[in-house]
Order: sequence, then C-alpha cells, then structure tokens
Amino acid sequence: MAENNKILKINNIEVRYHEVILVLKGVSIEVPEGGIVALLGANGAGKSTTLKAVSGLLGHEDGDITDGSIEFLGEKIHRLPAEQISKRGIFQIIEGRRVFDHLTVEENLLVGAHLRPSGLKERLETVYHYFPRLRERRTVMAGFVSGGEQQMCVIGRAMMALPKLMLLDEPSMGLAPLLIKEIFEIIQRLNREERIPILLVEQNVKLALTVAPHAYVMENGRIVMDDTSEKLKENPDIRDFYLGLTDVGGRKSFREVKHYKRRKRWLA
Amino acid sequence: MSYLPCGTYFESYADDHKWWRTSFIQGKMIFMLVVLAILPYVVDSQWLSVAYTINYYILAGLGVQLLIGYCGQITLGHAAFVAVGGYTCAMMLLLVPWPQFMVDGGLAYPVTIVCAGLLAGAWSVLFGLPSARVKGFYLIMTTMAAQWITVPLVITQYVAQIGGRGQAFAIPPDMIKIGPWVIDTDTKIYYFSVVLVGICLLAMGNMVRSKLGRAWIAIRDNDIAAETMGVNIVVYKLIAFWVAGFFAGVAGAFYLSALFFVSPEHYEWFFSLLWVGIILIGGVGSIQGLVFGAAFVVIVFKLLEIAVMSASSALMAINPELGWMTTKFIFFKEASFGLAIILFLIYEPNGLSYRYWQLKNYFNLWPFSYTGK
Repeated sequence: MAENNKILKINNIEVRYHEVILVLKGVSIEVPEGGIVALLGANGAGKSTTLKAVSGLLGHEDGDITDGSIEFLGEKIHRLPAEQISKRGIFQIIEGRRVFDHLTVEENLLVGAHLRPSGLKERLETVYHYFPRLRERRTVMAGFVSGGEQQMCVIGRAMMALPKLMLLDEPSMGLAPLLIKEIFEIIQRLNREERIPILLVEQNVKLALTVAPHAYVMENGRIVMDDTSEKLKENPDIRDFYLGLTDVGGRKSFREVKHYKRRKRWLA
Repeated sequence: MSYLPCGTYFESYADDHKWWRTSFIQGKMIFMLVVLAILPYVVDSQWLSVAYTINYYILAGLGVQLLIGYCGQITLGHAAFVAVGGYTCAMMLLLVPWPQFMVDGGLAYPVTIVCAGLLAGAWSVLFGLPSARVKGFYLIMTTMAAQWITVPLVITQYVAQIGGRGQAFAIPPDMIKIGPWVIDTDTKIYYFSVVLVGICLLAMGNMVRSKLGRAWIAIRDNDIAAETMGVNIVVYKLIAFWVAGFFAGVAGAFYLSALFFVSPEHYEWFFSLLWVGIILIGGVGSIQGLVFGAAFVVIVFKLLEIAVMSASSALMAINPELGWMTTKFIFFKEASFGLAIILFLIYEPNGLSYRYWQLKNYFNLWPFSYTGK
C-alpha cells in the first residue's frame, strides 16, 4: 500500500502513567484510508492505552505521551486536547458502553452530532437504517435499554459525528455471542458502505481477524506481530495463544504449559 | 408486529419537540395559567406573599437545578449570586444618575434586572473556574468559598459601606416600576413574579432540550464520553455557571421588588442549603421538580409558622406565665426542613417530580395498566 494512503500514523509512541509507569514502549500503528485495522492482545497489553493516546483521553488518567508522535491526515495531533482531536474527526467509542443514561436514545445520538449540527434528520435516518432497533427505542432513556442496544447507541452516536476515523474499544464486551455477530456485521457494513476507517481493539481474536484485513498483536506495551489476517490466522503462535487451536488439541499437559510460557517469553 | 401499540405516537421530528404535544396537555396548561391568573382574587395577601416567595425560590433554584441537576456540578453557595444580583440592582437604582425619562417611563428597573443577571453571571463564572479541575466534594468547597467570600466579606464589609448607609439599602418605592406599572402591592408583585418565572422556565426548558442542554447532561452522565464526542467540557461547565448565575441575579433583583430593601441577612448560607434542599425534595434534574420542591418547602414553612403561632397564642391564653415557651418554637422551621430532606432521601429519593411522573403514567394507562397484578 502506498505511503500516502495512511490516514493515521502512530510513530513509536511511549506512554507513561503518573510519570513513572511505562505502559507503551514504542508502539507504531498505521491505519489505511477506508480500512479496518485490528489491535489484538491480552489484558494489560496496552491496547486501550493506545486508543486513548490517539483520542487524547490520557489526561483523565494522568497519562502522558513522552516520546514519539501521532499523525492524523498529515497533522501531528498527540499534543492536542481531546475535543480538538474530535474536531478533526477522530471519535473513540470507549469500552463499557458509555451511554448518557438520562438522555433518550435519540438525544444520545444528537449529542454525537455536537460538532456538526446540520442535516440532523438525514443522519438520524442513516443511523436508524443501520440500527433499526434504535428507531424502535428512540424515546426510551438510554440507561434503560439492553446492553446490546446501548452498544448500538454508542456506535450510532459516533456515526452521527461523521467520523473520519472511528476508534472502537471492545465492542463485544459483555454481550451475547449472537449479538456480537450482529454488531460486527454492522461494523463491517459501516466500513464498506460509509467508508469509515476503523481501528478496532478486541479480545475476541477470531472475530476480529474475520472483520479486519490487517491486524497488530500487542504484548507488554509492544507490537509483537503485524500482518494480514490471513497470515496471522495461519501463524502457529496466534493459533496457540489467541485462537486456542493447537495441533494436538484437547487438554494441555503441564509440560505443554511450560512450553507455552517459554514460547510466550520468546514472543515478547 | 404481533401486538398493536397504543398511546400517542408522533410522526415527525417537529411533533416530537412540541411544547404542548397533546390536546390534554394543552388543556392542562391553559387551566394552570387560568388558576395563576385568578389566584390574587381568590386568596388573601398573606397567601399571595407565599405564592411570590415560591416564585422567588423557583427563580433562585433554577440555577441550582441547572448546576446540580443538569450539569452535575454541586454548588453550595448560590445565595452569593442572588446577593450579587440583589445588590447590583439596589446599587444601580440608588447610585446611577438615571435620566428623568427612564425613571418616568419605568425603564430603570428592567435595565437593572438585566445588569444584575449579567454581573451575577460573571461572578458565578469566576467561582466556576475551579470546576475545570475539581469535581464532586472538592467543588462543594470551592462553591462554599463563593458564599463566604461574597456575602460576609465583599458585601457586608465593602459594598454595604458605600455612602455610609450602614448595611441595609432602602429603595425609594416609585423606583420599582416597569413601564407604566409601579410595583407596590402584593398582587402586582405576584403578577410580576409569575411573568418572570414564566420567562425563565421557558428559557431553561428550551436550553435543556437543545444542544446546550444535551451537552450539560452528557457532562453530568459521563464526562469522558462527552469529551470524546467533542464537547468542550470546561467551556460548557462555565456556560452552566454563567446561566445559573444569571438566573440567580434575576432572582435577587426580583426580590427587591418584594422587600424594597437589601440586607446581607437575606443571603445567608442557609438559603444556599435551602435551594439545594428544594431540588432534592422536588427531584434532581427536573424543572417540574424545582417547582414542586419550592411550593412544598414554602407552603410547609408557612403552615408550620401558622401552627407555631396558634400554638403559642393558645399557650398564652391558658397561662401567660408560659409565654417563654413560645420562643422555643421558633427554630422548628429549620429543624423541620432538615427532617423533610432526610425523609425525602429515605422514602422518595427521586423527589416529588418522580411521584408526579408515576401518577401521570398511571392515569395514562388507566384502567388497563399492565402491572402484572
């Protein structure tokens, strides 16, 4: 892919919390125009921190980018406050379905259009086209709709902002498998039909690799692998550690656990 | 769909956002306006003063409701901004050399009301600045600082000394005049208050259902998510403080028409607490709740006052020697207010407006409610 096609470039960033805890130790990620990129990894690998670094939310947790840079559409954005970053078109969907509980579903969507308050009706119709369930629930307070509907509401809210880049943090968290499938299909459609580039953080590696053509694997604050999904699916380490597909299959013995740890150390 | 939905459904976005959406609501509101209009002909001046005190509390509480109920910024110093409004109005009426046509035409007082709002708003923003950094309990401390700095220090020690008048500023009665109407009787004060409250409630109602209000509620519900949606949190918090201060200033300026003088003891810290209590009783995050809360508190206070008065006069009639006991009743009012808040927090934590909402829902579905019983 040509170099100028990348809309987001994270160049070797280092993030520290409270000025001492080094969380990201040089992370570089590129998101191509109109593409979906998945960011995979275990808990505590630094995936969410990477997203927060992009969207400027590190300040809430006393974190800071101490090295490296983040470029969005050729502009360095890593020193900007969060609302300036969202003005440039990057919208993060924070993990854990942060709806505004006491606003109705529709008002939640309208908050999404905070920065672009024209043509609301058309955009509402677009969101309702992708999420017909939200239309049924539009007058209900968002705190009282189900978890899946809240997740749809949050994604719809970001759509209302006409994002140039969507950062999705664990859209599958705490949802039923069928619902996850539905939401991922919508995410794929959004990317295909509306051409919204997506940087996706996900624990569900299998699903993420089917949705995203390209993926990064993070461990311990570093990118350890970076390849197309097809190749990652074939990679024996990924099959072992993330997909749970071992060649032997079945229960792992103690010896294999040791082997697992040894391999993992090598990986990092 | 396997069932037929019932109830009122709206087809367009415009219908959704109407003020009076059904003919029933229309009828209800018109009935309420008629009641408000004929009230002075039905009740005596004692209860009329209760009515405009309710309106004063509504005006002053609007800012508290906005800050606590809509924006999530807890404030315990709102009386300070009401004081700024009241003093601005009084000082301007007394000290500004008004041209004769403005005094005769009744323009001076309306102008001072607006100025009082603007200045109180600015003063409020000043004390809202810490909200950029601190939240919750720490913000309570900074807003309390507003109270202590403004009323006992700035107003009592400096502003009240201007012109060597001592602490109270009396307003010449004919200065309180709007257009051709001199506001001098309880009835006129009452009508004036109703109009002011109407305008302010309408403004507030429109604000909270617009982009501004959605941003405030978003900050209250989840400030980080609001920030990711591009809401500039600091700016919107400061706008909330400014608007709250403006309402407080208008309230202070209005109350001048009822009192004809200002004095620091009308703006004690107790009132800051009282207004927070009113919104707790009425319902946090609801304009209706503010109205219910104000009405509840003022009417209960009045009833207690009547009860204490009649009890003490009965006591005096039985045995004049026991007259000293009546002084012990005086503080019942404050104590009962504390008790009311405790009871409401235990038994009705969502406030009176929630009960009203339930009542409305009950009658919306009556007689075919599906409670499963």
